[in-house]
Amino acid sequence: MTEWFNSLADTFYRCFIEDSRWKWMLEGLGNTMIITVFALMIGIILGIIVAAVRSTYDMNGAAMKKKGGPAYIFLRIGNFICNLFLTVIRGTPVVVQLMIMYFIILINVTNGVLVAIIAFGINSGAYVAEIFRSGIMSIDEGQIEAGRSLGFNYIQTMIFIIIPQAVKVVLPTLFNELIVLIKETSVAGYVGVMDLTKAGDKIRGRTFEAFMPLFAVAAVYLVIVIILTRILRIIEKRLRKSERR
Amino acid sequence: MKKTFLSILAALICMTMVFSMTAFAAEAAPVSTVEEGVLNIATNAEFPPYEFKEGDGFAGIDIEIAGAIAEALGLELKVNDVEFGSIIGGVQSGKYDIGIAGMTKTEERLQSVNFSETYAIGVQVIIVKEDSDIQTADDLVGRKIGVQQDTTGDIYCCGDFGDENVTEYRNGAEAVQGLIAGKVDCVVIDNEPAKSYVAATEGLKILDTEYVTEEYAICIAKESEDLLAAINGVIKDLQESGKLQEIVDKYISAGEEAEEEESK
Amino acid sequence: MNDALIQVRDLKKYYDNGRIKALDGVDIDIRKGEVVVIIGPSGCGKSTFLKSLNLLEMPTEGKIIFEGVDINDSSVNVNIHRQKMGMVFQHFNLFPHKTVLGNITLAPTKLKGISKEKGRERAMELLRMVHLEDKADAYPAQLSGGQKQRIAIARALAMDPDVMLFDEPTSALDPEMVGEVLDIMKELARGGMTMIVVTHEMGFAKEVGSRVIFFDGGQIREENTPQEFFAHPKDPRLQDFLSKVLI
Repeated sequence: MTEWFNSLADTFYRCFIEDSRWKWMLEGLGNTMIITVFALMIGIILGIIVAAVRSTYDMNGAAMKKKGGPAYIFLRIGNFICNLFLTVIRGTPVVVQLMIMYFIILINVTNGVLVAIIAFGINSGAYVAEIFRSGIMSIDEGQIEAGRSLGFNYIQTMIFIIIPQAVKVVLPTLFNELIVLIKETSVAGYVGVMDLTKAGDKIRGRTFEAFMPLFAVAAVYLVIVIILTRILRIIEKRLRKSERR
Repeated sequence: MKKTFLSILAALICMTMVFSMTAFAAEAAPVSTVEEGVLNIATNAEFPPYEFKEGDGFAGIDIEIAGAIAEALGLELKVNDVEFGSIIGGVQSGKYDIGIAGMTKTEERLQSVNFSETYAIGVQVIIVKEDSDIQTADDLVGRKIGVQQDTTGDIYCCGDFGDENVTEYRNGAEAVQGLIAGKVDCVVIDNEPAKSYVAATEGLKILDTEYVTEEYAICIAKESEDLLAAINGVIKDLQESGKLQEIVDKYISAGEEAEEEESK
Repeated sequence: MNDALIQVRDLKKYYDNGRIKALDGVDIDIRKGEVVVIIGPSGCGKSTFLKSLNLLEMPTEGKIIFEGVDINDSSVNVNIHRQKMGMVFQHFNLFPHKTVLGNITLAPTKLKGISKEKGRERAMELLRMVHLEDKADAYPAQLSGGQKQRIAIARALAMDPDVMLFDEPTSALDPEMVGEVLDIMKELARGGMTMIVVTHEMGFAKEVGSRVIFFDGGQIREENTPQEFFAHPKDPRLQDFLSKVLI
C-alpha cells in the first residue's frame, strides 16, 4: 500500500512538479478559457445576425415578396447565404474547419490562439444562430402583432419586444453551448495551440505516463463544467421566478 | 434424454479446448508476447522514411526491421499506428510488445521502459525556407520553431529555446505545412523525413549544420526481459549479416548514408 | 371624398392561391365618432377584416383609405399610419417582460419621442381611466384577464389613436370579468372615440353601437342601426345566427 502510494507520488512529481510542468497545465487552461470565451462572443454576434436574417425571411418574407423591390432581393440573398453557412458549418467537423482556417484561410495569422478563436467562433455562430432563431420563433405571434399594431416597424419590434423575451428563453440553451464549446476546444492542439488537452498530451509525451495527465486534464474540464452547470441552474431558477412574480 | 445431451455437449467442449491448446503450444514462440504468436508493434506512421503509410499497409525502415525481428522470432507482425506520445505508455501498460518509431534512448524514457541496442543513427536537422536568414542552430534563438509533438526535436527545442517559441504539430508533415504557411520560421525534425519533405516541397532547404545527433532504439516493457534479450540478439544478427544496412539502403541512398557516417 | 375616416373598397384576402376566400370584396365607410360593431359566426372573416384594416393581415387586393391615404399601396409606410390605429386583441398580447407602466409608455417614448416623465404622466392618467393606477409597477403575469385587457386598452390609447380596433376583446375572459372591460369600452365610446369592434356581446352592440354589421362568407351580409338590426333582421343567415345567440 505504501509502495503503491509512493509510486503514485513519484508519478505525480514527474507529471506536474518536475520541470514546472504544472505551468503547462495552467497555460493550457488559460488558452482553453480564452478561446472559449472569445469564440462564444463571436458566436453570439454572428448568431444574432444570422438568426435575424433567417427569422426575418421566415416571418416577413411573404409580405416583402408582395412589395418586391431591392430589400426583398437582399433578404433572399442573405437568407441563402445564411442557409449555406449553416449547412456547411454544421455539416463538417470543427477540427477540419480549424485546420482549413489555420493552413489555408488565415495563412498569414501566426497566432494559433487567434485562429482557434475565429474558427470556433464561426462554428459556434452557426449553432448560436439556430438557438436564437428557435428562441425568436418560440415567442407568441401576438407579441409581434401587438408591437406592429402600435406602429413599431419590424426591426423595432424585434429589438424592443421580441429579442428581450427571446434572450430569456434561450439563455439556458446558450449557456449550454458554452459548456459544449469548452469541451470542443480540446482539438485546438491540431493547429499547435497549447490548450488544456494539449498540455496533458505534452506531459504524457515527456513522462510517458498516461494515467495521471489524462485524469488530471479530465478532472479540470469536469470541474469547470460542474461549476458552469451550477451557475446555469441558478440562472434557470431566477428566470422561472421572474416569470411567476 | 436431456442429461445425455448435456454430457455429450460437455465432452465436446472439453475436446475442443484440449485440441486448441495443443494447437497453440505447437506454434508458441520462444518468447512470450501480448498476443500468442503475434509481435504487436506500436509506431507512429507519419515519420518517413522510418515509418509511413503505403497503400493499405505500412512501410519504412522501422517496419522492415520489426518484420525481420518477427520473422526471426517466429512471430506474426502486427503494426499498430498510434500517436507518438502514446507509444511508450502503450508498451509500458502491456498493450504492445515493442515500440519502434525512430525513438531515441533518453534518461527520462528509460524510467518507463527498456531500450534495445541502437539500430540506427538519427540526426535532428533544421528545415528553413530557401530565402531564410537562419544559418545555424544558434540563429534559432527567439525564432518560431515548428516541431512534431513529443519527438526528441520537440524536447530539445523546448529546453534550448523555451516552450513559448516552440509550436508543436501533431506530425512532421503539418509542421512543414506550418513552415510553408509562415506560421513558424523553421522546423526541427529528424534528418531522414526532413529529406523526404524537402524533396517533395519547392522552396525549402535543410541547414548544413545539424541540431542534434541521436541513436534510435526499440522500446520494450521492463518486465519483458527475455524479449529484450531476443531482440538484441536479432539486431546483432541483422547487423552482422548486412541485412540491416540493406534495409536502410532501400530507403536512403548510399551517398547520404555515407555523409551521415562521416558526421558521426 | 366624404367625411369618412376609413373607406374600404373591394377588399379581398385569398389564401391558398384563391381557393380560400377569407375576404371576398368588402366595401364600407366608417365615419369619425362611429362605433361599428361586427358580428358573425366564427370563421366568417370578421377578424381577418379587422386585422386587414391596419395591415396585420396583408390583403390580396383592394383599397383601405385611412385619413385620405391608401395604406394598402406598397409605396406607403404603414408604420406611421398604424400609430393612429389602436388595436386591442383577444389574448391581450401584453409585453410580459415589461411592467404595466413599461407596456403603456414603450411606444409613445420610442416612436413619438415623448419624454419619460411626460409618458409616465399620460400613462398614469390612462391607468386612472381604466381604474388600475395601483398596478403601475406590476407585471402582466400578476394581473387577472380583465385587468390585462384594460391595460391593453390603455396601451393602445397611449398613442392617441384616431380609431380603436377591438378584436373580440372579451372572448378570452372569465364571465365575471367581461363587464369591467365592456364598461371601459362604453366610456370610450361615449367620449367620442371612433371604434370598430368585433364581438359576440350583443348587449354592447345594442347599447353603444352606431351601426351593426353581419359578416358571413367573407362578405358583409347586413348592415343597420342596432334597433333595426336586432328587431328586423332581413338576411336569412343573420336570422338563423341571431336565433342561436340570443337565447
